[in-house]
Amino acid sequence: MAQQAYFEDVEVGQQLPPIKITPDKQQLVKFAAGSGDFNPLHFDEKFPMLKPMGLTENIVHGRFKYAQVGRAVFAFAGYKGRVKRFGVSYRGMDLLNREITVGGVVTAKREENGEHLVDLDVWTEDAEGKKTTPGTAVVALPKRGS
Amino acid sequence: MPDTETAFQITDEMRAQIGIESEPWTYEVTTTSVRMYARGIGSEDPIHYDVDFAKQQGFRSIVAPLGYIGTPVYLPGSNDPTFGFPRRASGPHLNIPFKGLLDGGTETEYFDVICAGDVLEETSHLADLKLREGARPMLFITNESVYKDKATGKVVAKQRLTSIHM
Repeated sequence: MAQQAYFEDVEVGQQLPPIKITPDKQQLVKFAAGSGDFNPLHFDEKFPMLKPMGLTENIVHGRFKYAQVGRAVFAFAGYKGRVKRFGVSYRGMDLLNREITVGGVVTAKREENGEHLVDLDVWTEDAEGKKTTPGTAVVALPKRGS
Repeated sequence: MPDTETAFQITDEMRAQIGIESEPWTYEVTTTSVRMYARGIGSEDPIHYDVDFAKQQGFRSIVAPLGYIGTPVYLPGSNDPTFGFPRRASGPHLNIPFKGLLDGGTETEYFDVICAGDVLEETSHLADLKLREGARPMLFITNESVYKDKATGKVVAKQRLTSIHM
């Protein structure tokens, strides 16, 4: 866990530390077990649905990428912060054994109902730099001394 | 009901399904399920693994990774064998002609931190229907699940899932 972020110290435009992951088949099988999504599209390269899509490799679960965004947002919030909301759209497929980079940037800071909120743009990016899972998040951060 | 995908329109009958609540289903958040999900996403943060460490940080137990709101109780014949979600008799039922299906998006709103030991009651409803017209129409279906702590009745999270049918 990175050092705790405090509301006063966060600046609009600040980037979240990137997370990089290259999911292999074992990773996606682990995710299938953890999430309960056993769709063979994600771990069986002979699964018949892949061929009509022109694919010979398995597709990374959308929810796996959502969870990677979640890791970055959770790390930004720290143990004293609280994630209020995070959402993404699935705009592109990512394939097995390709690097995925999770990124984020602070877009606004505001106070609402006594909470110190930070708005974020978040995303996953494929190896070619295409944002395949763009989204937004809202995090409540502590103030120093609170 | 239109008999072709290209002639598809959202009907008043379909819109009338919006908001109809499903019967509740129990979701469990256990130490083992939290650790398995954390391993599944490749996290090594001890907050998802080490109960003593999590308690030292002020949490009730190990913390569920974001996006994980428990595992639906699995009863053979009552849950989907591939995806595990409950097949419920009540709730919205849409009869649509589309064969293609894509995952459109996921959004979670949190009202509390979810930790191992939590037992949640989930209900779901159809939240939105949108049609993108064109040569190949696309129907966007958004379902919302509401998760309540079974012990307190407090809403701890809401999750909206959008599927794209074409």
